[in-house]
Amino acid sequence: MLSRVADSLYWMSRYLERTDGVLRMLKINYASSQDDIQEFSWKQVLRTFTYLDDAEAKPFVHHSRAVLQYMVTDKENSNSVLNIVTRARENARSVQDHITKELWQCLNDFYHTIRDEQLVRGLQKDDPVSILDILIKQGLLYYGITDITMSRGEGYAFINIGKFLERGIQSLDILDVKFSDLNDDFTRTDTTYWKYMLLSISGYELYLKTYRSGFDAKNVIEQVVLNPDFPRSVIYSVNQLHRYFERLKSGGNKEAYRKIDFMIGRIKSKVNYSTVDSIMLQGLHTYLSEVKEELCEVGNAFNQEYFAYT
Amino acid sequence: MLFFIFNVLNDFRLPFICFPAQAATKTIFTMQTSDLLNGYYVDNKTWDEMCTEQSVRQQYQGVVDFMQQMSIEELNKKEELAKRLFMSQGITFTVYSSGEGIEKIFPFDIIPRIITAAEWKYIEEGIRQRLKALNLFLKDVYNNQFILKDGIVPNEMVYSCPHYLREMHGFPVPHDIYVHIAGIDLIRDQDGTFYILEDNLRTPSGVSYMLENREITKRIFPDLLPKNNVRTVTEYPTILHRNLVSLSPRQTANPTIVLLTPGIYNSAYFEHTTLARLMGVELVEGRDLVVDNHRVYMKTTAGLQQVDVIYRRVDDEFLDPLVFNADSMLGVAGIMSAYRKGNVAIVNATGNGVADDKAIYTYVPAMIRYYLNEEPILKNVPTYQLGNTEEREYVFANMNKMVIKKTNESGGYGMLMGHTAGEEEIFRYQVEIAKNPRQYIAQPIISLSSAPCYMGGRLKPRRVDLRPYALCGPDCIEIVPGGLTRVALREGSLVVNSSQGGGSKDTWVLAG
Repeated sequence: MLSRVADSLYWMSRYLERTDGVLRMLKINYASSQDDIQEFSWKQVLRTFTYLDDAEAKPFVHHSRAVLQYMVTDKENSNSVLNIVTRARENARSVQDHITKELWQCLNDFYHTIRDEQLVRGLQKDDPVSILDILIKQGLLYYGITDITMSRGEGYAFINIGKFLERGIQSLDILDVKFSDLNDDFTRTDTTYWKYMLLSISGYELYLKTYRSGFDAKNVIEQVVLNPDFPRSVIYSVNQLHRYFERLKSGGNKEAYRKIDFMIGRIKSKVNYSTVDSIMLQGLHTYLSEVKEELCEVGNAFNQEYFAYT
Repeated sequence: MLFFIFNVLNDFRLPFICFPAQAATKTIFTMQTSDLLNGYYVDNKTWDEMCTEQSVRQQYQGVVDFMQQMSIEELNKKEELAKRLFMSQGITFTVYSSGEGIEKIFPFDIIPRIITAAEWKYIEEGIRQRLKALNLFLKDVYNNQFILKDGIVPNEMVYSCPHYLREMHGFPVPHDIYVHIAGIDLIRDQDGTFYILEDNLRTPSGVSYMLENREITKRIFPDLLPKNNVRTVTEYPTILHRNLVSLSPRQTANPTIVLLTPGIYNSAYFEHTTLARLMGVELVEGRDLVVDNHRVYMKTTAGLQQVDVIYRRVDDEFLDPLVFNADSMLGVAGIMSAYRKGNVAIVNATGNGVADDKAIYTYVPAMIRYYLNEEPILKNVPTYQLGNTEEREYVFANMNKMVIKKTNESGGYGMLMGHTAGEEEIFRYQVEIAKNPRQYIAQPIISLSSAPCYMGGRLKPRRVDLRPYALCGPDCIEIVPGGLTRVALREGSLVVNSSQGGGSKDTWVLAG
């Protein structure tokens, strides 16, 4: 496979995973903003998914519609869903002969959907949840079509590598931002605080089934970092990343394979042999940043070893 | 500010102009059962593909009957569906305005253009003959130059052509084929005679529209194609792929074939991806390739992989910065040396521009007689060489009946339409021509045929041309039964170019 093609597939996939993350986050936070007017703030969402500093974010924090406009359809915001989807589609466009026609058409439709002016208007005037649902469904179509139509070759491996690397980093970020506001006061067990966070990563129901004793910060950490059955957990993402990476083993690039295999293996052991208590002992923020740093290094290594074509 | 970053099909040449209907006699059809054909009139100076003066031609009867059974609402829905299909498949080009790209589709008219079996047989034979001669000419002109020595084509015509490449001299190309893919433009004058307007022998585009338009017709008019006995065009990628495989310099069962594209910002990018997908070959950009020791490799995740055949959609001058335009980012440094060593095949061959040059065009009938000892089947549009004093004087005396074209330009640039140009403009051209006559040719303005287009509930005649695609393989020349019909959608418009409001139609060739 051409290095350029691998690169484009990887980024196409990362961008779409990000799109899914952002949209879910927006949907749940919007719902939450309708629930408690007093306390609700968009600060954490903005910190996780934009480059705005606190001062720049200030005019947004209590304006749901403004946040939605900025994060979904704003052309100037390079991290708006519109721009992320456009980049995903441009990547797909340049590798149309490596993805199935259905997959290309799905992304092309996604692109046209999000540029639809009616949608932009709806986001400002109508029920934003129905609009966000339309977009989330387009993303789900992408996942389904990838699963059903893409051949299980190298390209598929790079798509999944991008997807799980992005997902792992996202979960780490979300957790880190959520906890940073508590100033290490983990005694807080306010139901809505955790409920909406878990909902936004589709982990609420699992939490209820796993932990019967109400909300506890430690349990939240355990689920989001260490539960191998939770598809958005860090450990799940890292395991999947490794699984798809192993499919590159038979490729010609032995040295690159060994190097990155070592890096992913190290992260995997680190997460696998952590407990909530060991994480707390090290300090949650330090732990999360370290894992994130290492995942980013894996991304850089892919750039160097597999995608370098200039 | 609004500007086109590119034309949809950028290597399309501008066709020609036709007479404005001067005091045309109109034939109005009124005998039809629905309103569809009401007011379909054609002036008697134009050949209409659908109608004679009295009736609908037999080949169109099936389609006309079918259309008349449908309501305007249904037809409008079909048109809407066609648009949506193009959009969702990304068969679009981008217009940039205030920093933002807007996707547009290349207009598609839902009524097919129909060619009978007899007409097709004639076209097919004519093109086959012409390509045979053109390939021989290219081989000759880059090797022994018999045709120049025998004085059939003047030396200066060849050496003054900017597309003539010294780099092509004296090395054998595989199977002696220079033109592997040709898109030959045909037009019909008022009595229906076909003329060759241009031979496109470099990187002709538009074939994806031939394929996609057919797919759209299948969707919008279920069952209509088999009922009308329309021949399929789907063989095209298979034949092309088979021909490309046959060119591989390495004797291997599975040679590496790539399609070299200038990249996603090229107007024909959609076409490049479609062809790569349909043939199952790798779509590469210049930056994916590297030349080492006169061999071409592509950079893959598993290291370098040798490339055997390159179907390139990058023009000659951008192909190799070491040989041609040094600023080119689209090409591959060293590719020409690999080509000359015979380590890689390039399709079409470089240097073909010398054979589809507008001034050389005049000599194609002579080439056919010289190389094949046959009379040309398809006619040339009469063309005046402005280097020839007599011809120049004749043209200058009849400027209002002429089209003046620059020989080395395309896409409608550097053209003068005599019947509409002002005196001052004509004078300016005459001065320019006198300075450098080799750069210009003149052709009498020829009418082109009209075909029905669906416009707001009615059929209206609009001017069309035809570009069939011919594939030259080691054993034979094959012309897929179909082609691209371009149509001037604006009423009274004389130009079928996509940049001038032109669209396209599905082109049907009927089986016997």
